Amino acid sequence: MLRNPLALLSMVWFVILVVSWLRPELLATHDPFQQDVSLQRLFEGPSSDHWLGTDGLGRDHYSRVIFGAGFAFRSVFIAMTIALGVGVPIGLFAGWRGGRVDRAIIWVNDVFFSLPIILLAMAVIIILSPSLTNAMIGVGIAMSTRFVRLTRGVTLAEKEELYVDAARITGISVPRILIRYIAPNLLSSLIVQAAIISGAVILIGATLSFLGIGASLDDPDWGVMLNRARPDFRREGIWQIVPSGGALVLTVLSFNLLGDAIRDSIGRDASSNALTVTKRASVTPASTEHLTDDDIVLSVRDMDVEFPSPNGPVSAILNGVSFEVRAGETLGVVGESGSGKSMTMLSALGLTPAPGRMTRGSVRFADEDVTNLTERDWLRLRGKEIGVIFQEPIAVLNPAMKVGAQIMEPLRIHLGMGKAEARKRAAELLAEVRVPDPERRLDQYPHEFSGGMAQRVGIAMALACEPKLLIADEPSTALDVTVQGQILDLLAEIQSRRNMAIILITHDLGVIAEAADRVLVMYGGQVMETGSAEDIFFRPKHPYTKALLDTMPQNHAGDGDLAVIAGIVPQPNAWPAGCRFAPRCVHATEACVSAIPPLLTVDADHVRCVRFDEPGFDLAHGGSTAEVSA
Amino acid sequence: MAKYIGSRLLATIPLVFAVLVITFLIAVAVEANGSIATQICGEGATPECIGAIEEELGLNEPIVSRFFSWFGGVLSGDLGSSLVNQNTSVGELIGERIWPTLSIVGFSLLIGVTLGLLFGVLGAIRPGGFADRSISVGAAGVIAAPGFIIGMLLSWGIAVELGWLDPVGYVSLGESFTGWLKSITLPSIALSLPTLAIVQRQLRSSMANALQSRYVLAARARGVSRPSLISRHALPNALIPTVTVIGFRAAAAIGLTTAVEIVFGIRGMGEMLVTAIISRNVTVLQGGMIVVGLVVAAVNLLVDISYGFLNPKVRLDRD
Amino acid sequence: MTEPSLLRSQAVDGPLLEVDDLHVQFAGRGRLFGTSPPPVRAVNGVSFSIAPERTFGLVGESGSGKSTIARAILQLVDIASGTIRLGGDDVTQVQRKDELKFRKNVQAVLQDPFSSLNQVHQTRTIVGDGITRHYGLKPGANRDERIGRLLDAVGLSREFIDRYPYEMSGGQRQRISIARALAVEPRLIIADEATSALDVSIQSQVINVLRQIQDDSGVSFLFIAHDLEVVKHVSHDLGVMYLGYLVEKGDANAIYDAPTHPYTEMLIASIPMPDPVVQAGRRELRQSFDNDAEPPSPANLPPGCPFENRCPVAMDICREVMPDPTPAHHGGDVRCHLHTSGPELAGESVVEFIKTKAESRMAGSQRSQDKSLTS
Repeated sequence: MLRNPLALLSMVWFVILVVSWLRPELLATHDPFQQDVSLQRLFEGPSSDHWLGTDGLGRDHYSRVIFGAGFAFRSVFIAMTIALGVGVPIGLFAGWRGGRVDRAIIWVNDVFFSLPIILLAMAVIIILSPSLTNAMIGVGIAMSTRFVRLTRGVTLAEKEELYVDAARITGISVPRILIRYIAPNLLSSLIVQAAIISGAVILIGATLSFLGIGASLDDPDWGVMLNRARPDFRREGIWQIVPSGGALVLTVLSFNLLGDAIRDSIGRDASSNALTVTKRASVTPASTEHLTDDDIVLSVRDMDVEFPSPNGPVSAILNGVSFEVRAGETLGVVGESGSGKSMTMLSALGLTPAPGRMTRGSVRFADEDVTNLTERDWLRLRGKEIGVIFQEPIAVLNPAMKVGAQIMEPLRIHLGMGKAEARKRAAELLAEVRVPDPERRLDQYPHEFSGGMAQRVGIAMALACEPKLLIADEPSTALDVTVQGQILDLLAEIQSRRNMAIILITHDLGVIAEAADRVLVMYGGQVMETGSAEDIFFRPKHPYTKALLDTMPQNHAGDGDLAVIAGIVPQPNAWPAGCRFAPRCVHATEACVSAIPPLLTVDADHVRCVRFDEPGFDLAHGGSTAEVSA
Repeated sequence: MAKYIGSRLLATIPLVFAVLVITFLIAVAVEANGSIATQICGEGATPECIGAIEEELGLNEPIVSRFFSWFGGVLSGDLGSSLVNQNTSVGELIGERIWPTLSIVGFSLLIGVTLGLLFGVLGAIRPGGFADRSISVGAAGVIAAPGFIIGMLLSWGIAVELGWLDPVGYVSLGESFTGWLKSITLPSIALSLPTLAIVQRQLRSSMANALQSRYVLAARARGVSRPSLISRHALPNALIPTVTVIGFRAAAAIGLTTAVEIVFGIRGMGEMLVTAIISRNVTVLQGGMIVVGLVVAAVNLLVDISYGFLNPKVRLDRD
Repeated sequence: MTEPSLLRSQAVDGPLLEVDDLHVQFAGRGRLFGTSPPPVRAVNGVSFSIAPERTFGLVGESGSGKSTIARAILQLVDIASGTIRLGGDDVTQVQRKDELKFRKNVQAVLQDPFSSLNQVHQTRTIVGDGITRHYGLKPGANRDERIGRLLDAVGLSREFIDRYPYEMSGGQRQRISIARALAVEPRLIIADEATSALDVSIQSQVINVLRQIQDDSGVSFLFIAHDLEVVKHVSHDLGVMYLGYLVEKGDANAIYDAPTHPYTEMLIASIPMPDPVVQAGRRELRQSFDNDAEPPSPANLPPGCPFENRCPVAMDICREVMPDPTPAHHGGDVRCHLHTSGPELAGESVVEFIKTKAESRMAGSQRSQDKSLTS
């Protein structure tokens, strides 16, 4: 936050204001109430005597602005005490109770919430008589509705978090859960909101004073100063409103900037999104050649992808990834979380999420070098020649758009179909992926689909333009196991009809065994091994592949402990030096940790292990490579 | 959709009723904090006068029956008469004062929402670009400035210094259309700038969220072009929270217009309310609250209906 | 009236936990003004029991009600009817003052390693709060020592006492969750999808820790997961849930080897095996089920068996009547009409029957195809 210059400036301004509030006489040069009885020095501009000029009664603007800080802070103090003191407990209570009590509280709250704050303040003022304190009581009550909403919203959400269940299971009492467990999680959003609302309180307080129903009309309050300047500023010049108006705007601005800065320092960065195209930078060419077989659909060579990290060095998400996939073949890509399997596919399609970028390598699609393709050129390949299926079938559908319109999109963009023709084809596609009653389904929205049905829609969209290559990124992971089979069968059936290449990304070796012809095993952003499905399962070359097979409960006989791979899956910012699997590998030697092993070529396959061709290093017959221990 | 609108329309009835209850309670609270009758009869009031006024206003009756007689009056359009001038009915007073206020609020929303949405999309198209940064800085500054200060600057700069428009005054629509438009332009702009900034910031941030979503990534992977990603995929979803914010802002603008009207010397609801508060003229304030409550209910209804159009889930679940 | 003893005695005769005819319903989300939709029947007449030092595995897909059963036992949701007994005492009527005794005996390890630990607390608080609550041990060296021993038990170094959740990997967080459950020395730990969010290589580590703990302390487990392979590996007994019904329960290995409910068989057939040759056979088995029907909504269950529309061997009666549990060969029971009507399998395996049916169906469709070709 301190790196943010605007937030720093706001802090400086606050320091000045706090001093003005606590010890105004230190900064002020005049008595803020002292009028010029000689009537000689009215409506003056800045001078050495009156730094910010004088008002219509000859009072010193500068000193009045200094004393005004106290009024502003007192306003914030009164209003925020009430707003937080009333709003937070009610919000906590409503959010925790839920159900009808919650709905009743929120309904009443929303009635007050929807009325203008100034009007609610006016109601309190007419009841209690005009004064800044009374105005602020009204503003505080009105603002409490903001905190009821916020607190209740966060509490409702936090209540669903499993840590709250865990606390209840431990036997922690409800008040303690609210105070010790939920409240700390509420704090950050409360602070952000409080900063911004404090700015609004000052603004509304000044408005009420300006209207003459806030601070007393002699007080050096900023709003009152503006009120006093109102009849004369057109005649006497705009300077009359600058000192008080400026102080007011700067103060509100500071509160807002501070709130934003706090939020940015705790929240996520919204400065990049799917449309952010990272500046094109030179991609270092691949150091190996592409294979030149005719049936290769997609070929990737030596791909590196890097992410600049905000505090630290660039981390390489992918390192030296190479593979190719052929027409009619299914390439299974398997790896644990963080292995880089999804990133590989996004980057091959020029969809590396910002701020990451591909820094080395070469990608060929069919006969075309697509490494440096522009976004515009990609449009003619994505969706037409290459279809993509994602993991979360519902999240990838636009919730505000009918499913039919979404399926029709690629048909209309890439095949130039008219509306009626595209709709007819979309219904055929839905029928092809065996969605019952396709005509009716076209007019439904994504939330009306189950996960399995939504994934069929995803497949229909990916296949709409009969692509040469289908990339399926964990297409069945989010689905129930009995639905998973349906999706895999569907993909197999369509592939055999169209002779399409499929890249199937999954963490499940069982899915690989079912569907893949060839397999790419990834770990730590690198290719560990490639090979035919038979080789991978029956003759693994890399200790990681073997260990992964051994840890699957399906491969475990008897009642003893399961085989494990010790240690943790490494994160990209903490890749080990040398072989990335070495710290968890039971076969690791000195050589494994000293340098990253090269990706060796064996026949047409690859392996990244320095020990694999040592005499006697036979994983297939050497028993388990994973530890059997607790 | 018709059924949805119907259900939303029904839902505004309790809201209006709640506003009426609050409004009634204000009078009760004012009474508890100093006799209204004494106020009407003035300093040194005779007990006869006070008794007569209390009888006339029904202040001696139980609170529930007072509520129902007041409530019945409100339903038949009788908002009572001004406590300061017993000959003026509150209904007539409001009838006079409401048009300048509605003109300014309406015109300011038109300007603020249109430009706010436009700038919001502009900011989201190239996050961190020149347009985005300039708009963000401008919006941050405008949000911190109350409408009446902007109004004073405009009145001085555009009207006095440049002489393009009149610095004060209101011309009714009945008198002259151009005169009306000219008279409300500066106050509307003053009131619209904070609206513009708030709408812009909300849309910019919900566009950013929408553009980071999986469905935009998926659409991009289908070969959907940038303009279409923005207009067909991100914008409709980003508008959903923005519409809510516009509704809140519309209600707030009704309150904030008071100060702007006073800057421009326009005799609208703002001036009426301020005078009423200073003279503790509670029936006029009540009348004002009821009108504002109705406007807020109408705004909420509009927000709900647009919400239904934008968000199929809401519409279909409630149908 | 006698006060519930809530396991005050050390020894438990018979089962530790008995769930009998449990029903749980969720009211549809009503509005402040207006009527509420019909309730969702999440759990329908579920009965099972867990003996001391045993693990009961509960398997089912999303929406099957398995997690709701866990939440009902943990008193996080209200039950509609039925009883839950712990050491013979009915705990559905637990008084406020006895709640702590109940909590001390039943603990849980929950699914999501991210959401189940509070981001603002260190391990010291996460694990220590329960110790303070149940043993009155204030924060300090004594309590830290106790936390340290728990960290040893779950295979973490003692440095983890100062760590926040965001400083840990998923597997490490789940070990902290286990330590938190162990801290009060419970009789029963409910593991609700405790390993589902973990990578395979980490999942097996955590499972081994759980088994080790059972060997060491004799705690019982209710192990809930959607992955039948994992459940089978850790469980002595197994229950299979489908849309709120416990359709089959009995000895875990016996069910796996010879299921008596068609849904159990479908579930087994659906798990892909990491072996291309074995999997080719499984796929064939899987395809013998009618694959494209969607399960009914739990808010609108049919009067008969909810699996009927996906079942390859459904009969007319299945559409109308929900079958009652009947004894099965694996020592438990099964809710399927095949055992009492139609082929009257009488609790024996359903595998052969489905296979025969599938073959005759394939032959039938082959014949009709041939016919259409010749005509």
